[in-house]
Amino acid sequence: MSAINMPEATLEGAGPVRARRGERARSRRGSLTAGLVVLGAMLVFSVVASIVGGSPSHQDLASALAPPGHGGHLFGADALGRDVMSWVGGGIRTSFEVAVCVVALSAAFGCAVGIGAGYLGGWLDAVLMRLADIQLSIPPLPLFIAASAIIVNNLLTLVILISIVGWVPYARLCRARTLVLSERGYVAAARLAGRRRGAIAVLHLLPGVTTEIAILGSLQAGVALLWEAGLSFLGLGLQPPYVSLGFLMSEGKEVLSQAWWVATFPGLALALLVVGFNLTGDGIRDLFSPDVSGGLR
Amino acid sequence: MKAPVLDDALKADAPADLAAAQSRWRGVSRYVAGRLGQGLLVLFGAVTASFILVHATGNPATVLAGGQLPPAQVKALSAQLGYDRPLIDQYLSYLGHAVRGDFGNSFRYGTGAVGTVLTALPNTLILIGISLAAAIAISVGVAVASVLRQGGWADRLWRPAMSALQGIPDFWIALILVLIFSVRLHLLPSLGFNGARTLILPCTALALPMLASFTRLLRGSLLDFTGSDIALALRARGLTRREIVIHHGMRNAMVTFVSYVALQAGWLVGGTLIVETIFAWPGIGTMLIGAVNSRDLTVIQATVVIIALAFTLLNLLADLAVIWLDPRIGRERVSREGGG
Repeated sequence: MSAINMPEATLEGAGPVRARRGERARSRRGSLTAGLVVLGAMLVFSVVASIVGGSPSHQDLASALAPPGHGGHLFGADALGRDVMSWVGGGIRTSFEVAVCVVALSAAFGCAVGIGAGYLGGWLDAVLMRLADIQLSIPPLPLFIAASAIIVNNLLTLVILISIVGWVPYARLCRARTLVLSERGYVAAARLAGRRRGAIAVLHLLPGVTTEIAILGSLQAGVALLWEAGLSFLGLGLQPPYVSLGFLMSEGKEVLSQAWWVATFPGLALALLVVGFNLTGDGIRDLFSPDVSGGLR
Repeated sequence: MKAPVLDDALKADAPADLAAAQSRWRGVSRYVAGRLGQGLLVLFGAVTASFILVHATGNPATVLAGGQLPPAQVKALSAQLGYDRPLIDQYLSYLGHAVRGDFGNSFRYGTGAVGTVLTALPNTLILIGISLAAAIAISVGVAVASVLRQGGWADRLWRPAMSALQGIPDFWIALILVLIFSVRLHLLPSLGFNGARTLILPCTALALPMLASFTRLLRGSLLDFTGSDIALALRARGLTRREIVIHHGMRNAMVTFVSYVALQAGWLVGGTLIVETIFAWPGIGTMLIGAVNSRDLTVIQATVVIIALAFTLLNLLADLAVIWLDPRIGRERVSREGGG
């Protein structure tokens, strides 16, 4: 739950970094590679698990709560005899879907708002940024839980719900960068050349923020899938026929004293996914962060 | 001969100091006023959000009925609860009641919704308070140890552990802790609310991920400080590295740290809601889930607003602490930066 604040705390560069430069440089490529390897391995596992383990929702009461390794269930089976490994595989895919959709939706909306606010300025800017302040100051999970009382959750509503909270960092970032970039000569040149405002925003302002958006996106992906899993764990997110890691963990909670494997494996997969996304985000930042490349320029 | 000169100098200085103090006071009060205004705006936002939530699908009476009542009865229920009035009317009266701390009665218990939330609040605050305190205390220790002896055991052991811990969901940690300490070792109770022993597992689960991000932030700012020109100047004056880190570095790092901790507390609330349900802890989380499952709309609204209120107060406290820690706040330049 703690990762989403990291971009703000760390994007701003570190100031004097004599002591950290060596350390950063060493792990510069390391964490990006590690993150991508973890994420790739999870994807491969997800495909393999669904081939080996069969359909995640196939029930077989004869092998209910079979321990790992028994009856062809490598990770064991849950209380209804569903194969934990293929469920984890399917859950990883669902997590990726949630993460990708949430990041795409909130990045698109946030960037549009941010560039619009920064470029047009005036009362629109003031209103939008106040709205962003308010949204950052209300803890989101209670809101999600409250919303589940009213809205029936499926993949689409869940993605929209999480994105409603997630657009703010993108908007702030894009606004700040737009304010800086629109003073630059090439933007003025484009304006003089008669380009329209929309075209300037997309062609000249957006490319200036892609690196930061990639960092924010991979950090947000980890948080988004944690929220999905948390809500599903509470029984308020994705329920079957959706295959969710959080739902399997809530099943595992019920049988914790008899079958450790039902809660443990999906939790492990979830943790690896989050670590993978975090490492990727850190890696991109280390690779492009101004305090590292500043020495090269 | 010298004394009068010194006296004169002191007298000349005194009004200047006074002016500086007054100027800082003005800056600080403007800063605090700005923060208070923003806090009020947030509360207004939370009240509005909780209203929109309940009315998001049209008539809340339909949600209450849960598809089990005939349309005529839904209509009657809607009229009885005032959900048939124009939306703007409902919003204004909701706003008016919310200001007075009145969210109506709980549908489930028939008592005041705010009272229901407030009875559960202390139990949640205990969890949050203890896990925050533990996370802060340990992270300060680990960060200082790892900066003082880079490459030492604290540094080597904790860095990989920290990056791993940061990604691990707290509710999974909770399940694993129960598995190890309750199911396997029978050391600690897995359920309920009964003395200090029941606090250990939930607090550990909540504190571990916090600990990771706190240590990371602190270590980063301490390292930045030891690499700065200020630290170099202190070194030149003959201070040891330990003195520089503990006396000057910590003081510097605290400014960022305090605001960060206050922000993280909001996310800790989220984690607590989930972890509480695992341990059947009688706090806000368990209550909120119960209210959601029985569609107790007034309690849900009250919970959202009270959580936002608590969070806003905490952030105001953090702002005050930062003013105390950072003498630059209140001077023109910084107050403009910090107030935004």
